[in-house]
Amino acid sequence: MVDLSQYLPILLFLGIAVVLSTAFVFLPMGVSRLTGSHKPDAEKLSEYECGFPAFEDSRGRFDVRFYLVAISFIIFDLEASFLFPWAVSLEYTGWTGWGAMMVFLAILGLGLAYEWKKGALDWE
Amino acid sequence: MIGVEHYVVVATILFVLGVLGIFINRKNVIVILMSIELMLLAVNINLVAFSAFLGDLTGQVFAMFVLTVAAAEAAIGLAILVVFFRRRRTIAVDSVSQLQG
Amino acid sequence: MIHTIAFYLFAAMVIASAMMVIFARNPVHSVMWLILSFFNAAGLMVLVGAEFIAMLLVIVYVGAVAVLFLFVVMMLDIDYAEMRAGFMRNMPLGLLIALILLAEIVLGIGAYRTGAIELGTPDGTGAAPLGASNIEAIGSLMFTRYVFLFEAAGIILLVAMIGAIVLTHLGSGPARGQQNVSRQNRRRPEEATRNVTPEIGKGIEL
Repeated sequence: MVDLSQYLPILLFLGIAVVLSTAFVFLPMGVSRLTGSHKPDAEKLSEYECGFPAFEDSRGRFDVRFYLVAISFIIFDLEASFLFPWAVSLEYTGWTGWGAMMVFLAILGLGLAYEWKKGALDWE
Repeated sequence: MIGVEHYVVVATILFVLGVLGIFINRKNVIVILMSIELMLLAVNINLVAFSAFLGDLTGQVFAMFVLTVAAAEAAIGLAILVVFFRRRRTIAVDSVSQLQG
Repeated sequence: MIHTIAFYLFAAMVIASAMMVIFARNPVHSVMWLILSFFNAAGLMVLVGAEFIAMLLVIVYVGAVAVLFLFVVMMLDIDYAEMRAGFMRNMPLGLLIALILLAEIVLGIGAYRTGAIELGTPDGTGAAPLGASNIEAIGSLMFTRYVFLFEAAGIILLVAMIGAIVLTHLGSGPARGQQNVSRQNRRRPEEATRNVTPEIGKGIEL
């Protein structure tokens, strides 16, 4: 079983982060509620867009190009995550490990070249 | 004391929830893909738990490969979904049976 | 003690958020619950000492896969209320299968508890090198014994990348209006405009 006491700094960090972010979110709300007048009605609560009611749903459609960027991100994210154990364990794996990673990088470089050639990386 | 069977129970409940999610959201492919991710997560929990309790790291290496395959599967599955939506303007799985080339 | 509390906390959270994933009405909420569920699974993996897999879960699943799901949910404007039709119709079959699987695992755990099942003993080939941290041990195993599987993982990633591009990329045709900067700069007034003084009533030739 792992010694959990080494995670104490992370727990403290998380606790402080939660406390601070909660304070930053709720403190202004509470202060404005206490100091200002608060009389909501239907007109005040409706969304306002240049004097018109909102034309359409604010959740508009995304372009498919965002999806292609996200795909590249996933693939190269995984590539980077394979690089971490490779980098720290080279003393155990030696040249075999080095060559294996070079082949892996070449395979993914092939994919990158294909992507580039197809123009999936161009925005316009 | 937490033993390996506790982890197996958690993983099984997760896996069963994934199967149930596929059954009850039969029309919504996005939720079905998320259920598959849940099932793969259950598999990963099993692999890692057994690897840790047996002192054999093979399970963790395979968990990494499962993670890779899960990411690739999500990417391809969602790409197929996008193409299907472009054709039919819906993602209901019922009409996938009409796809014939 | 703290171990037990942490395990039950993470396990309860992972199961509760997985339930919310499959029962949420809005797919965006489903993705959010999926993220919470992955976070708590990462916590479970930290508890057994698999720190690297835990980090990977947070980086790959929360950072990339969940974002991909969010993109797709927002990319397709779908009437999700209609998607819920038939939600309860398949419920009995799903529950039946869930119960069967749960009964099987209860039997298995019971057999394990009474000692009828041996977990087996590892042959030591996958054991961590002495004094190596979790990530070093994983790397030393992955790049020696499982090196071909590792290359296969690379090929899977390549196929995923190419497949996704082939499926979704529409091709950047000239319809998008590409700008040719050097041609714009080469353009001179002499070749683009001319001065004319037409007589009244004559008009000009273009």
